[in-house]
Amino acid sequence: MIKTHKLVKSYGKGELELIVLKSLDLEITDGEFVAVIGPSGAGKSTLLYQLSLLDEPTSGEVYFDNTKTSAMTQAEKTALRLNKMGYVFQDYALLPELNAVENIALPMLMQGLSFGAAMQKADAALARIGVGDKARNLPSQLSGGQQQRVAIARAIAHNPQILFADEPTANLDSANSRLVLQAFLDLHKDGQTIVMVTHEEEYANQASRVISLKDGFVISDKKRDPPRQYHASLSTRLGRGSL
Amino acid sequence: MKSLRALKKEFLNALRVGWFLAVRQIRRSSKGTTALIIFIMMLTFLNLVAVSGLLVGLIEGSFQQFREGYSGEVIITAAPGKDYIENSPALINFLSSHPRVRAISPRHTLGMQVLGTLTDLPKKNERPNRMGAQITGIDPYKEEDVTRFSRFLKYGENLRPGEEGGILIGANLIKKYSSFADANIPGLDLLQDVDVGSKVRLSATRKNGEVVAKDLIVRGIVKSKVDQVSTRLFVLDSELERFLAVNQEQYQEIALKTDPDYAMALVQETTNFMGSYSARIQTSEQAIPSFLRDVASTFNILGNALSSIALVVASITIFIVIFINAVTKRKFIGIMKGIGISPRAVQFSYVFQTLFYGLMGSAAGLLVTFAALKPFFAAHPIDFPFSDGILVATPEGAVIRAGILLVVTLIAGFMPAKMIVKKNTLDSILGR
Repeated sequence: MIKTHKLVKSYGKGELELIVLKSLDLEITDGEFVAVIGPSGAGKSTLLYQLSLLDEPTSGEVYFDNTKTSAMTQAEKTALRLNKMGYVFQDYALLPELNAVENIALPMLMQGLSFGAAMQKADAALARIGVGDKARNLPSQLSGGQQQRVAIARAIAHNPQILFADEPTANLDSANSRLVLQAFLDLHKDGQTIVMVTHEEEYANQASRVISLKDGFVISDKKRDPPRQYHASLSTRLGRGSL
Repeated sequence: MKSLRALKKEFLNALRVGWFLAVRQIRRSSKGTTALIIFIMMLTFLNLVAVSGLLVGLIEGSFQQFREGYSGEVIITAAPGKDYIENSPALINFLSSHPRVRAISPRHTLGMQVLGTLTDLPKKNERPNRMGAQITGIDPYKEEDVTRFSRFLKYGENLRPGEEGGILIGANLIKKYSSFADANIPGLDLLQDVDVGSKVRLSATRKNGEVVAKDLIVRGIVKSKVDQVSTRLFVLDSELERFLAVNQEQYQEIALKTDPDYAMALVQETTNFMGSYSARIQTSEQAIPSFLRDVASTFNILGNALSSIALVVASITIFIVIFINAVTKRKFIGIMKGIGISPRAVQFSYVFQTLFYGLMGSAAGLLVTFAALKPFFAAHPIDFPFSDGILVATPEGAVIRAGILLVVTLIAGFMPAKMIVKKNTLDSILGR
């Protein structure tokens, strides 16, 4: 699905140049749940920005479904992010003027869905993730955990091919972090491809593949069978294993 | 290459999403901020309409007073080089029977000398208390119908039909009441010690060279910002006939009231009836001195120049408002682009917000202009020396200005939105 070839990302020039990613070759296939871990400054988030086309590499290439993304215009990349990708930000990144259900409906409206259909799908996604009663609440009226679950619902409601998550549990307490992780596990069980950056090894170990970065290099890349259920209470609340 | 249909679909969808975002951003933004922006837009609109409207209104007010206090909608005067309007009786008959003529006031107007304070005649080497002025013979009833003449009476009483020996004097002829009393204008001799009840002596030279004189008692003082009222003497037409044997068939002025919209047509009809050599037939606007029209044009240009400055200020204001709004939401704009919302949809959301502020500001401005300012200035005109200033604002003109304001604000709102949306998506998200 996504492949990088000699991917380099650096900031600054000359003596001040800082190379964050050093000629990375990676391939992420359909259905994988990839956790990217590493210490601060290892290049985890930078890698995620490259893979999700939010940033452009200094050199090398990112291929999406075997298509060179460097040849794409910004508009094409935006359209690709809309239709094929979902993104969960560390700080939830919900739009403050839109309520929960409107935040989720927005990408679907952009895809061309009618207002009614988008709102209906968004309502259903919210209900599935366990915050259906907060549909008309503004982000400021939701707790951190609720906001992050709404953000996950927004990221997957339009059925993206791949879901990117940048430290999705960093701002949450452990109970909410487990709920969020369980949501990812459930999505993965349903076949959702996920790339998650985290600095928490405990959460990374739940993924099917763990890539460790250090100083811009991949120092390990391990595949494993993740547990299907991390937190029983969420699974019970959701009623089924998916969002 | 995308097909035209796909591009159109994308464009319409961006419009739809832009609308969706704009409605919610306006609805859920601070009510105080929204009210402040609308208030600024309203002030800008008022600046556009009211400033130029008041400037033009100063002159328009004098035009209006000229029409209402002297000329009526149509004024007929003697043709150039002629002493009187030829064939006046036929003309008066024609006008009196015209269905669109509401009132008619024929006037005799002649030059005359007036000597004030007969009880205090000048000694040797003293200048006499005398001045030259125009005297107008009127029928008070007919004059009332055309100009509501009685409203100009500031002191004393009006002339009564049938009485003898009374005169009204324009305030600007009397030192005590004249607006020019303090001005040291060479050759301007105003009547001194003349007031209501004083006796003045009129003297005139008949065509045969005979000098005639008559003493009259000042019944009242008339005052208006129309010179033709404030600088004239008024007596009954019958008085003038007795004194100077003016001919009933030889009027110098005929003022008419008709529908303002019909004035031009009436001028044409009357010209056809009389022929252009018999009299000068003009609408009120045509009779206004050309320098006043020049002043009106100059004020109009000045008003437009001030309006242009107001437009520039408005565009800068809305630019700053939208720029600050967009800069403070730069992170969220980045996030929207990050999740695939097209930059165009984000731009449209700002354009719609700008449109909302512009529309609401213009609507509030229109309401204040036509429901408050215009009626207020009509009821309480600005007291200028030469006119009562009113606010000139037509619905058509105001709507055109509102349109201009909207276009300018749309451009001023679109530009900062485009600038912010163009920023690198990741930089916006990370606040770099």
